Amino acid sequence: MAGRRVAVKAIDWLAFAERVPPNQKSMFNALKTRSDAIAAKLASLPETPVVIDWNKYRKAVALPGMVDEFEKKFSALTIPEPVDTQTSRINAQEAEANQSALAYIEQSKARVALYEKQLDKFKNMIPFDQMTIEDLNEAFPETKLDKVKHPYWPHKPISEL
Amino acid sequence: MLSRLVFASANALKGSGPLGAGLVQASRSLHTSSQSLAPLPPLPETGGKVRHGIFPEELFQLLYPKTGVTGPYMLGTGLLVYLLSKELYVINHETFVAASIGAVFIYVVKKFGPSVAAYADKINEEKVAKAQEVKDQAIASYTQDIEDEKKEQWRVEGRSMLFDAKRNNVAMLLETNYRERLHMVTNEVKRRLDYQIALQDLHRRMEQEHMVNWVEKNVIGSITPQQEKQSIAKCITDLKALAKATQVKATT
Repeated sequence: MAGRRVAVKAIDWLAFAERVPPNQKSMFNALKTRSDAIAAKLASLPETPVVIDWNKYRKAVALPGMVDEFEKKFSALTIPEPVDTQTSRINAQEAEANQSALAYIEQSKARVALYEKQLDKFKNMIPFDQMTIEDLNEAFPETKLDKVKHPYWPHKPISEL
Repeated sequence: MLSRLVFASANALKGSGPLGAGLVQASRSLHTSSQSLAPLPPLPETGGKVRHGIFPEELFQLLYPKTGVTGPYMLGTGLLVYLLSKELYVINHETFVAASIGAVFIYVVKKFGPSVAAYADKINEEKVAKAQEVKDQAIASYTQDIEDEKKEQWRVEGRSMLFDAKRNNVAMLLETNYRERLHMVTNEVKRRLDYQIALQDLHRRMEQEHMVNWVEKNVIGSITPQQEKQSIAKCITDLKALAKATQVKATT
């Protein structure tokens, strides 16, 4: 009954929890409770089964060959390890997730570049004290008065004053 | 000229906003063509210095080296006297009208100028403050957004932990299954052997009891009536002897 499987990797649940975005917290909690249940079940089972005292049985049981036969068959028996069907799927999922994560990071970087450009524009603006109306219209195009559409002062509908 | 009057007497005009901008722009647009790319220097904070509200300081500075401090005043007085005496300026009723209007105007400007200037400044400052708020908010929101994006990128880095957890779960389930099978086999074998032993014990017990019952029955059956009477008589004599013995013991 030997056969050790791949050792279970220690997971830092605290660090993991920090990285979970708030909208996925419930999924994370479900995963954690499931994992904890599985780990508890595993811990409750002893690693090696109870050893059978063959000599005691040999003395006690009257039938002559029975104990020997059992003992022989028992030691010859090997229990097959359960087949792992899911790990390959998980690896595939992980590869997929890596792909989409890279794509997301690219998009995120593009967004950051955009934001930084806008931020620079705001940071390098002339202070309002030294601006003229033309400078204001350049910096904030929405303040430009449409003198063609509304040729008379105040160049905008009264309702917008 | 009029702008200088307002500037000097008010003494409180801080931001030369749209008012100054409009007037100065008129002069600047004369000099700058649409191809000029150099950024304009900032507008001056206050207008040119004047004395007595009308006369520019530059005149006094101009005449100072030659005539000293009283030079421009002498020039002014001399000009005035010359105009009056030669009747180049004739005093008529218009003079009094002009004088009264001038007096009233100067009084009003001196009295209410600062407050009007403050009011105009307040309006301007409100506009500027609003614009500044918009700008500050925009800067804050962009900085926040950049932070959030960086945080999200950091979060994404932790994705391997999820898959580690999943693989762990799978491994643990497999291990549990394997151990359960082991235990099941051992327990089944043990149960069968224990059953055999229990069966044997049962057999022996039953045989024992049966044997005992049979022997008892036979013994009881073999006691003949004659033997019974004999044994009862013996018992009675034994009892009598015992009674005598105890009586003797009691008296001594």
